Amino acid sequence: MIVVAASRIRTLVWVAVIFAVGFLCLQLVRPTLTNPPVTAELQAPPEVRQILRNSCYNCHSNETQLPWFDKVVPAYWLVTSDVKEARKHLNFSEIGKLPAAQQKAFLFEAVNMIQLGAMPLPSYLRVHPGAAVTPEQLAVLRNYLIAPADLDATAAAEAAIRAASASSAADAEYDKWVHTSNVAMDVKPEFNGVAYIPDYKNWKVISSTDRFDNHTMREILGNDVAVKAIAEGHINPWPDGTTFAKVTWAQTQPDVNGFVKTGAFVQVELMVKDATKYASTEGWGFGRWRGTELKPYGKDAGFQNECTSCHAPMAKNDYVYTMPIGGQQ
Amino acid sequence: MRVANVFLLGVVVAVGVVGCSDKTNPRVATKLNQDAMLVGDLPANPLQGRVITSWIDKRNATMSTMFGNDVAVQNARTKAVVPYPVGAVLSVVTWGQQEDARWFGGNIPKGVKAVEFVTVTAPGAYSYERFEGLPLKKVASGEGGDPADRAGYLMSVRAAVMP
Repeated sequence: MIVVAASRIRTLVWVAVIFAVGFLCLQLVRPTLTNPPVTAELQAPPEVRQILRNSCYNCHSNETQLPWFDKVVPAYWLVTSDVKEARKHLNFSEIGKLPAAQQKAFLFEAVNMIQLGAMPLPSYLRVHPGAAVTPEQLAVLRNYLIAPADLDATAAAEAAIRAASASSAADAEYDKWVHTSNVAMDVKPEFNGVAYIPDYKNWKVISSTDRFDNHTMREILGNDVAVKAIAEGHINPWPDGTTFAKVTWAQTQPDVNGFVKTGAFVQVELMVKDATKYASTEGWGFGRWRGTELKPYGKDAGFQNECTSCHAPMAKNDYVYTMPIGGQQ
Repeated sequence: MRVANVFLLGVVVAVGVVGCSDKTNPRVATKLNQDAMLVGDLPANPLQGRVITSWIDKRNATMSTMFGNDVAVQNARTKAVVPYPVGAVLSVVTWGQQEDARWFGGNIPKGVKAVEFVTVTAPGAYSYERFEGLPLKKVASGEGGDPADRAGYLMSVRAAVMP
């Protein structure tokens, strides 16, 4: 008995030793993670920056400070790849060189990722609970973004000139379109093969948005499959064949009645549901055609990563942001 | 000891990363925008029509979408110069606004403020109806040919560019 027990213990010790040695050897496999210089930090008030610094900078800046337990493999491997991915998407140490509006656009996206529970990554929060954004901190970020931009006289004058020129450009665009809209255009498919569907403009309206974050306005249209799914309440998952079109226009300056109207056409985006065909992109084929030339967006099929990463927080709603207006027939 | 702790932590981190929570963020939960539904006795459902354009009244925090029947849409999208031909029906739904729970930076429709119909009945003549309330009830109607009034204004709004 004693002999058997002793041999078992020996085996266990050996297994433990092998594991420990293996574990220590793995520590030597260390991808490099450096902190490049901070070239242009985000321009924002200190209280805004402080929150981002506490919750986001560890991955989304060149000032990554890893606690000791993040430096242990395999955690270190995950953290390293997350930080590299995070910096590629948004780097607070470098976006200060962008125009103020673009910096704010990144902050709007950041607030949305926080609100939707996508950021900081839930897996990261479990190990770094101190990085959680409190409701009070979220309010600070939101209030900063809601406040109207503080334009000095020069900036205001420049904005007025831009608005006037945008208005005449939109007029010219309308004149051209209204006289040629009967002529079918030759529009290329997206780089992922999703075809442009000119008939989108005849689909039913399922919602609209006033995007004050980027001064655009949108109509969201659905094909017959989409409308039927809404009417029958089968919108998660959406049935194959569902197709949405989101049409975006610039917002004009207010007219004499104080109304902001559709200005220049910005783009039309399609989401085509086919759970099998588009399995690699969450069951949706994404496409975006820019300008009245309807130029496919992106340089190659890699553009889809932007679509899927932005839609990821809506995974539990079949990746769809739009909340359709009820009462469809 | 330290090594064992570190190893344990590594496992915890790995499990934490792989595991996932079942809680659905209420902003993400699947639902329809019931607030913005058209409820009431309307002569036609504007949402069955095709979109012509939309606008936003920033001062009153409302957003409107103008729809048309086939005659109206065909005219709006191919002729820079209104008048609409006989048989054209325009319908305009005006909603209040609410913050889009799923996208801070966007407003989406809330309760319906008004539904309006403009029907071109004869060359230069049209009827106008306006519905308000919950349920929607007719609050105004009339016939006319005065291009300075509300119906005339609605007929002068040009279509949004949709290539």
